[in-house]
Amino acid sequence: MLSEERVILMTRMASYEQGEGRQNVKIGNYFRSDYIALQTLKAIICGILVFGIGLGLYVLCHFEELMENLYKMDLLAFAREILQYFVALVGGYAVFVYLVCTWRYAAAKKSLKCYYHNLKKLNSLYHDGQ
Amino acid sequence: MTVLLEMRERIKLIYSKFEAFIVPVIKFLLAFIVLNTLNGSMGYMTKINDVKIVLIAALACSFLPVGLMALIGAVFSLMHMYALSMEVALVGLCMYLIMYLLFFRFSPKDSLVLVLTPLLFSFKIPYVVPIAVGLLCGPSSLVSVGCGIAVFYLLQTVIDSAANIRTMGDEQILEKVRMMVESILGNKAMLVMIAAFVLTVVVVYLIRRMSVDYSWTIAMVAGAMTNVVLLLIGDLLYDVNLSVGSVLLGSLLAIIVAKVLEFFRFCVDYSRTEKVQFEDDEYYYYVKAVPKMTVAVPTKTVKKINTQRNRTPAAAPRSGASRQSGGGRSVDVERTGPDRGAASQLQNRGGVRRGQRSMTVGNAERPEPVDDNVEDYGEEWP
Repeated sequence: MLSEERVILMTRMASYEQGEGRQNVKIGNYFRSDYIALQTLKAIICGILVFGIGLGLYVLCHFEELMENLYKMDLLAFAREILQYFVALVGGYAVFVYLVCTWRYAAAKKSLKCYYHNLKKLNSLYHDGQ
Repeated sequence: MTVLLEMRERIKLIYSKFEAFIVPVIKFLLAFIVLNTLNGSMGYMTKINDVKIVLIAALACSFLPVGLMALIGAVFSLMHMYALSMEVALVGLCMYLIMYLLFFRFSPKDSLVLVLTPLLFSFKIPYVVPIAVGLLCGPSSLVSVGCGIAVFYLLQTVIDSAANIRTMGDEQILEKVRMMVESILGNKAMLVMIAAFVLTVVVVYLIRRMSVDYSWTIAMVAGAMTNVVLLLIGDLLYDVNLSVGSVLLGSLLAIIVAKVLEFFRFCVDYSRTEKVQFEDDEYYYYVKAVPKMTVAVPTKTVKKINTQRNRTPAAAPRSGASRQSGGGRSVDVERTGPDRGAASQLQNRGGVRRGQRSMTVGNAERPEPVDDNVEDYGEEWP
C-alpha cells in the first residue's frame, strides 16, 4: 500500500540528496577540524599562487625601473615590504576562508541533522506500515 | 490573475514534462548567444570567428555543465586576446586565474550568473542582475556578480585598447602589459559597478528574507533605489560618465523582470495570511503562514453519448470505455488533464486529482460485473 506521507518524504529527501545535500554530505564526511584545515590549506596555496601572479605582473610593469634601481635600492627593505604584502594577502585570505568554512561546516551539519531526522522518520513510517 | 496563474501552471507542467529537452535547448541558445556576442565584439581570431565553430561549441555546451560553458567562453576570449597580442592574452589569463583562485572557488555553482552578467552588460541591461540574484540566490552569489562585472570590463578594456596595441611593435612587450594592467586596475567604472551591485545584492537578499508582507516587492524596489543611488554617488565621486537616464530606465526594467520572477517563484496571497501561536515543553512558537496562490489546471471533459451495441464475448475489452452487453444508451465521461510532474503531485495530493481518472457511467440493461475491468477504474499514478 502506498503511503502518501512516505512518498512525499522520500521525494523531498531525494531532491535534497541530488542538490544541496550532495555538497553537505561531502562536508559532513570530515571532522570539523579536518575540513577547516584542508580548506585553509587550499586557501593558502591559492593565495601563494595569486601573490606570485600579482608579483609577476608587478615586475613586468616596473621591469625597467627595477633594473635601473637594482644596485641602488635597499634590497632587504624591498624584500621586507614584499613579505609584508605576502603575509597580508595570504594571511588575510586564509583567515577569511577559515571563517567561511567554519560557517559552512556548521550550516552543513545542521542541514544534515534535519536530513537524518527525516531518514529516521521514514524508517519509522516503514515499520508502522508493516 | 486566474488566467495568469493557470498559464503559470501550464508552463510548469510543460517544463516538468519536457525538462530533458528544454534544458539542453536553453543551454545551447545561451552558449550560442554568448559566443556569438563574444565573436561579434572581439573577433580578432578569424579561425574561431565562424558560425560553424560557434555551433559546435554551443552544441557541446548544451549537454555539459554550465561551469564548462563559462570555461569555453573564457577560452574563446583568451584566443581572441592571443590573436590581438600575446601580452594581452597573458594579462587576461592572469586576471581569470586570480578571479578563479581567490573568489570563484567559493561559489562554483553560480556559473550561470558569471555567464549572464557580462552578457547582460553587453546588451545594456545590467541592472537586472543584482536584483534577480538577490531574489533568487544566496549571499555567496555576489562573488559571481563581482567576477562577471570584472570579466566584462576586462573584455571592454581589451576592445578599447585594441587600436593602440595594434600600433605598438612586437618589441614593446612591457609597454603592452603595463598599459593593460593600468587600464584594468584604474578602471573606476568597474569598481563603482562592483561596489554598487554587491551592495544591491546584499540589500535585496536581506529584505526578501524578512518576515514582512510583500517582502519581495519591497526588496526589489529598495534594491533598485539602492543601485541607482550608489551608481549616482559613484558617478559624482569618480566621474565614470554614467547616463542617468539609462540607469533609471534600466532599473525600471529590472523591477519589471523581478516582478515576473516573483510571479513564478514566490506568488503568495497575503490577504489569507494566518498567524498562529502555540507552545510545547521547550519553546513558544509564533508562526506566520502565507498561502501560495495556486489554481488547478482545468480539465477537459469529453462526453460521448452512443447507442450501445451488442458486444461479442470474444471481443477484447477497451480501456476507458463502458462494457455492457445488450442494447441501451451509454454515456462515457472522460476527464483528461495534463500529465503530472513531481511538483504537481506534491502540490495536488489528498484526492484532488480524482477528477482526472477515467471513469465510465453507464445506463445498461444488464451491467456486467466489473472484476475484469479494473484498469478502467484504477489509479493513474505512475
